[in-house]
Amino acid sequence: MNELRALSPDASGSGAASGNGVLAPLPDTYYNRPLLKKPHWEWEVISYLFLGGVMGGSGIIVALTDDRKDPDLARSARYLAFALAATCPLILIKHLGRPERFHHMLRVVKFRSAMSMGVWGLIAFSLPAGLGALGQASRDGLLPRWIASLAPRAITDLLSALFGAFIGGYTGVLLSSTAIPVWGIGKRHIPSFSVCSGVASACAANALILALSGGSERSMKKVERFEFVASIAELAILLHFERHAGTLGAPMFGGARGARLRRYTQIGGIAVPALLSLLPLHGRWKTALSSLLTLHGGYVLRETLIEGGKGSSEDPRAASRQPE
Amino acid sequence: MAHGFFTDTTLCIGCKACEVACKQWNELPADGYEFTGDSYDNTGGLHGTTWRHVEFIESMPDAPGAPPTLNRWVMMSDVCKHCTHAGCLEACPTGAIIRNEFDDVFIQPDICNGCGYCVPSCPFGVVELIEHQVIQPRFASDGRTNDNALQTRGGVAGKCTLCYDRQKLGLVPACAKACPTESIQFGEIEELKERARKRVETLQERGVSASLYGVDEKTSVGDLNAFFLLTGPPSAYNLPERPVLPSTRQPAGYASAAVAALALALAGWTILRRGDT
Repeated sequence: MNELRALSPDASGSGAASGNGVLAPLPDTYYNRPLLKKPHWEWEVISYLFLGGVMGGSGIIVALTDDRKDPDLARSARYLAFALAATCPLILIKHLGRPERFHHMLRVVKFRSAMSMGVWGLIAFSLPAGLGALGQASRDGLLPRWIASLAPRAITDLLSALFGAFIGGYTGVLLSSTAIPVWGIGKRHIPSFSVCSGVASACAANALILALSGGSERSMKKVERFEFVASIAELAILLHFERHAGTLGAPMFGGARGARLRRYTQIGGIAVPALLSLLPLHGRWKTALSSLLTLHGGYVLRETLIEGGKGSSEDPRAASRQPE
Repeated sequence: MAHGFFTDTTLCIGCKACEVACKQWNELPADGYEFTGDSYDNTGGLHGTTWRHVEFIESMPDAPGAPPTLNRWVMMSDVCKHCTHAGCLEACPTGAIIRNEFDDVFIQPDICNGCGYCVPSCPFGVVELIEHQVIQPRFASDGRTNDNALQTRGGVAGKCTLCYDRQKLGLVPACAKACPTESIQFGEIEELKERARKRVETLQERGVSASLYGVDEKTSVGDLNAFFLLTGPPSAYNLPERPVLPSTRQPAGYASAAVAALALALAGWTILRRGDT
């Protein structure tokens, strides 16, 4: 019996003393092999997260802009929201393992699947965005006058903002409701900084359009001020997330990936444009430059998020004790 | 009636008959010639086309000078857990992943469109997209390569079906059928749990500190329809110590997104509507 005991495994893994020796404890990982599988998402999904943010943010800008005071801004936001609503589904379809089956997404409505909600949110957004852009085109004289009366501006603008805000935030919910540790620990941070980054990028995109198309300088300044607020909020949430995530945040904030995030998003994409907006500089070139920096920073943020998540999935110790 | 697996790791001899039987019955392609160097395990893990995986956990005596220790060599046949609350099933936006009449989690290969969301949504790292390249052409009876059903599996998510087809015919799943030591037991889930609890008692009486994984544990994934008897910490077996159903984080996520959107909308309203100075 003593011999039997000596050979029998020990559940605590701490090694049990017995007649013939101590039972070696089991290792705390399985050869350090990943416990989780990483998503296959590449540039398509990164681009969608970025463009979806610009799209949703433009929807919000549409509703917040007064057509009489800032007609150029309203026009650019409506056209941009529509253009992206037409493009994003194509990018998403491209990333599918079986693109010809994209319409299978339309078989079900699942409230517990953030991706199903996103599909329906995208469709819900594209209707008011499309009608809004049609109305804009008709007021701009590109389409017959009667088209503008199809859908009242007040309704399409409000719906664009509501569904736009949803598009901006759900992508963050989608990521944080996975088993990937760095995404899971960010269940409050990722959705909120996604909204902020989306709005900031949308402001930058619209400011860039105004700057390049000779739009109103006054509207340009206003949308840059909105961008300032959104990107400072984004920076604050990002910094708080880094502290909150602790060691789980290393795949996003550590090493070369973290350095890239700091260089291109936190400094280049947020701090530098913010400083530029505070300096007494004027001119379209300044707006164009700071907008491009913000947009690039927004893309790098989404890239860091996806690539950091992949890195996080490789850490079996992090995956073993999953965040609530 | 819920059916599932009870995998008793104390009986596993690492013969890999389950891996091979699974591959053969489900017509899954080979894993290639990767050599991991990790004990006898060259499979590495569960994959889109590897639905049973035999682990070889070696524990060697520590540093020189330490008290004499006995080596341990523990084996376990890993498989999809068929969770009561399955992360993959909840994540699936096409409804391809269903719970079938045997209470098992099944991916309908003709519905899945390969969005890949189930992959990171599995807290156990089971589901994986089957790449097109992995799918090898099979030889037809006339010796020529043949474009059969295997080819159409590419681009969709793959994992253990708990031999849905065999269960429908009243057969035991291939892995359980092939297991020579009854380490893998298939049956009605409540009956299996009773058997497993008795087995733990017996082992503990003999001085083995055995415990069940995936039964009577209060986790958000619920009881597992494929549960295990372990003799060490779950992390040694590449199982999470604390699996969490990912969708439980959604309310907090939507709420914080709504707060951020509302705050920004207020700020934007002030700036864009009242910002003319």
